[in-house]
Amino acid sequence: MMDVKRVISTIERKYIVNNLKKEERIDGRGLWEFREFQISTDMVASAEGSADVSLGESRIITGLKYDIGEPFPDLPDEGVCTIMAELLPLASPLFERGPPDEQSIELARVVDRGIRHADCVQTKKLCIKEKEAVYILFVDMYVINHGGNLIDCGGVSALATLISAHVPEGKYTENGIEWTGNYLMGEDIVNELPLVLTYGKIEDMVFLDPCLPEELVCDGRLSISVTEDKITSIQKSGSATFSMDEIQMLGKKSIEIGKELRNKLDLWQYKVKIE
Amino acid sequence: MVLIIKDEYPDKLFREDGKRLDGREKTELRPLKMEVGVIKNADGSAYLEWGNNKIFAAVYGPREVHPHHLAKPDRGVLRIFYRMATYSVFDRKRPAPGRREKEISMIISDCIEPVLFLELYPGTAFEVFIEVIDADGGTRCASTTVASLALADAGVPMKSLVTAVAVGKIDGEIVVDLSGIEDKAGDADLPLAITWFNDELSLLQFDGSMDADEFDTCLKLGKEAAEKIYQIQLDALRSKYISIQESVNQSSNTSGGDE
Repeated sequence: MMDVKRVISTIERKYIVNNLKKEERIDGRGLWEFREFQISTDMVASAEGSADVSLGESRIITGLKYDIGEPFPDLPDEGVCTIMAELLPLASPLFERGPPDEQSIELARVVDRGIRHADCVQTKKLCIKEKEAVYILFVDMYVINHGGNLIDCGGVSALATLISAHVPEGKYTENGIEWTGNYLMGEDIVNELPLVLTYGKIEDMVFLDPCLPEELVCDGRLSISVTEDKITSIQKSGSATFSMDEIQMLGKKSIEIGKELRNKLDLWQYKVKIE
Repeated sequence: MVLIIKDEYPDKLFREDGKRLDGREKTELRPLKMEVGVIKNADGSAYLEWGNNKIFAAVYGPREVHPHHLAKPDRGVLRIFYRMATYSVFDRKRPAPGRREKEISMIISDCIEPVLFLELYPGTAFEVFIEVIDADGGTRCASTTVASLALADAGVPMKSLVTAVAVGKIDGEIVVDLSGIEDKAGDADLPLAITWFNDELSLLQFDGSMDADEFDTCLKLGKEAAEKIYQIQLDALRSKYISIQESVNQSSNTSGGDE
């Protein structure tokens, strides 16, 4: 495996491309294979839910905090879930300090849209009183190491965080909000399990889950979010163009691979148990 | 892990049996775990768990200084960026760096600079990024400790490691290594750091009230505690090379078997 931190030489690029032409990857994977996922959850004591997810060399630690606020006027009985991502300069020499740049906003937005349009977060159950008080969930992703394809890693990380969440349950009374002592957990917060799958494209070759050297030489990427049987969000980025046939093929493939991955990860096991 | 909703301070910081709320003796440290080389992209890195504190540190450098006017023609610069994750504290922290984070970054940078040979690296910068994932009191000491470990892991020439620990006063008693609740509800807090090459203090802050005798005890207990932490730092550095050695031995054994 190539040890790449910042730049890819022309020779390395040719090596990656020639291997892909033979349907081989530089790390020995097949074209439609994910790297290994490693997941641990609920290790941050200060957060109301957290997950530490590695996808190959990529690693994202996500935490959940909550607040009580007013609902949006057009959705008076629905809670809010916002997703933020930070590409820490700690994670790679490619990341710089300062306010969120395009790349970190794209990561947060793509993960957010995948979750938002899949009916994943049970926003109606996050309402305490209509027009007055709803839960606002903050899911914040911090990239600890950049090894390529942060979007898929972040997608699983955000989902595992929501599943592991334990938010105190509040009841609306005349004196304001009172805590019942119970928690909103697992199914109270999460309904569908959307997964996002990202494909890289170099010349006319398409492959799943680009690692960092592949991502650096990619012409473009396509991220597809899928639930059990539906496509819920797509993002094309980079300068590559995709043919209609390719996109149809990738859509079908995503549902198929997504189903496999969902079974393999078995994310419901990360729901916390409170005695 | 589930926390209680209330963020209130208890009346007493000692239990009936004379131990502290988390069951520690007065001079006992919280469980401490360190590891180096955890972030592959960095030139050097370290991870620390100290009680509920969880902190990553990564070193990049020597590299070009941005913005350029901060570069010094005759020596390198050490830049430390201490940040906390939004979910590392009870009330969600705002994502942008605050005044506290900037001050602590500066304090840590001033604390570690004496052990480096910056005059060997004119015009360049060593950048150390510290990310607090979970915070429970004493993060500036923990960050200093882990940052010096990350610099050593990066192979930056150093006169010695730096070790930091907080000593303080709770309910009138001097204790070592204050937890989050002891820090907030206690009477005094004194973080200190020791540079081992000259046995002197390189970080010292104090908030609270203490008489001269208590202050002397604090310094003495602080040094004793720092010595224990120093051994853990050394072990963390050693264990990386022991594991490399073992893997080399193993592979040379297996290749020997093939011949």
